[in-house]
Amino acid sequence: MSFARRKRISAALSYAVLLLAAFLSLFPVFWTITTSIKQRADTFVLPPKFIWFDPTLKNYSAIFHTRGFGQIYLNTILVTLGSTALCVMLSTLAAYALSRTPRFVSRAPLEISLVLVRAIPAIVLMVPLFHITSQLGVYDSRVALIVMYATINMPFATWLMSSFVGQVPVALEQSAAIDGAGQVATFWYVVLPLLLPGIAASTIFVALFTWNEFLIPVMLAGNSAKTLPVFISGFISARNLDWGPMAAASSLAIIPITIVTVVAQRALISGMSSGALKG
Amino acid sequence: MRTDPRFWDSLRTTLTLIAIGLLIQLPVGVALAIILEKNLRGTRLFRTVLVVPMLLTPVAVGLIWRFMFDADLGVINWALSLVGMDGPNWLGARWPAIAAISIVDSWQSVPFIMLTVLAALANQSKGPLEAAAIDGATQLQTLFYVTLPSISNVLLVIITIRIIDGMKMFDLIFIVTSKGGPGTATQTLGMLVYNTGFGFFQTSRAAALGIVMVVLIAPVYVLWRKADRVSR
Repeated sequence: MSFARRKRISAALSYAVLLLAAFLSLFPVFWTITTSIKQRADTFVLPPKFIWFDPTLKNYSAIFHTRGFGQIYLNTILVTLGSTALCVMLSTLAAYALSRTPRFVSRAPLEISLVLVRAIPAIVLMVPLFHITSQLGVYDSRVALIVMYATINMPFATWLMSSFVGQVPVALEQSAAIDGAGQVATFWYVVLPLLLPGIAASTIFVALFTWNEFLIPVMLAGNSAKTLPVFISGFISARNLDWGPMAAASSLAIIPITIVTVVAQRALISGMSSGALKG
Repeated sequence: MRTDPRFWDSLRTTLTLIAIGLLIQLPVGVALAIILEKNLRGTRLFRTVLVVPMLLTPVAVGLIWRFMFDADLGVINWALSLVGMDGPNWLGARWPAIAAISIVDSWQSVPFIMLTVLAALANQSKGPLEAAAIDGATQLQTLFYVTLPSISNVLLVIITIRIIDGMKMFDLIFIVTSKGGPGTATQTLGMLVYNTGFGFFQTSRAAALGIVMVVLIAPVYVLWRKADRVSR
């Protein structure tokens, strides 16, 4: 077999694998969205109707007319924005402090705790958090969710940000200092602009994690701070018969994510690569 | 608690899910990364598409997979029937349910492994690869004797993270098998803590289980340090 021919065959095989993987990746998304616009009867037929069905928006209007749904969607958006802002701000500062102060006494224990906190299953913290939030009187409030989400995502965000801080040359800061800039000015005018790609990546990640978070709100939020994932999970107790509204609710959760992914794919990929490699 | 069979059962379920997950996800993730690394035309598009599953809300995708796994009306058993296979009642018995969870978990986790390996491959030095090519090594030989050893520390990091994630697994089980069903057949440690503390309201017992979980996961830190030291 000639070299060129072998190369062609290997490329063809690669494309076959990629196409199969892409199909498997996207089919559940396709199935969610199509199920959400099907008539109820069309969700129960075999063979399944993939494309030729009579579309309807009935399921979406059922979801929008569920009592409290507006509140739930608003909660999810506000909590995501609030905790992402809090978390990214604190972790950017923390990452900068960690990588620019080498003789910081508590540095090693701090780094260890960043790893450990990430490793502890959040479910372990639920019993104490439940007691704390109810005793502080913030159980079932958005503020409590914002603070808890920000805390839970801090280790990851700090870790990700410190890999970006590591890429900023120290010489730049030194020359700023020689020109008479104070520490705050150096950080604000020299370091921060260079960290913007990293901040973008962390923002997207933390926002995604927060948007998707289920464990904390299912335990620590009742009706007034309920978020979208908790609302969606309510469908499993509904005896599994109404797939249309369930798919509509799921679509409302995943469509924003899909849009963000496509728009911000560069920041996402760079964040994932550098964050993971930092190990 | 040491004598409580529910604890040992859930520990076994958790470890089984982690092991099956790694056995499926590592080879698939590495293979996809190697294919993407060839930089064929359209690689960027494929990379974006293949990343999508890891970003989606686990609760939402868990529900839709549950719908697809439905024994009578699910699209998966329908597809199996097209090729003449009789699909199992996925969520009705222990092993099919574990298989179903592993499939959904792999679907969500393979992209993470793929991207991490891809980043590691992009960083590896080209010298050894060229040397292997000059020495006449086949593609498979190069893969096993040059490429994989050079990214072994990254693979170790991935394994560490996946073990941690496996211990944490909660959302998918909550949704796909309704909190560990059928019965308690797929109840993982995390689910056991939840069911004990928030289902039966035995909070101190749940807290004790939580401590045991932390102790169980502590050795992972050693693995992490090892990977970290190699990578520096």
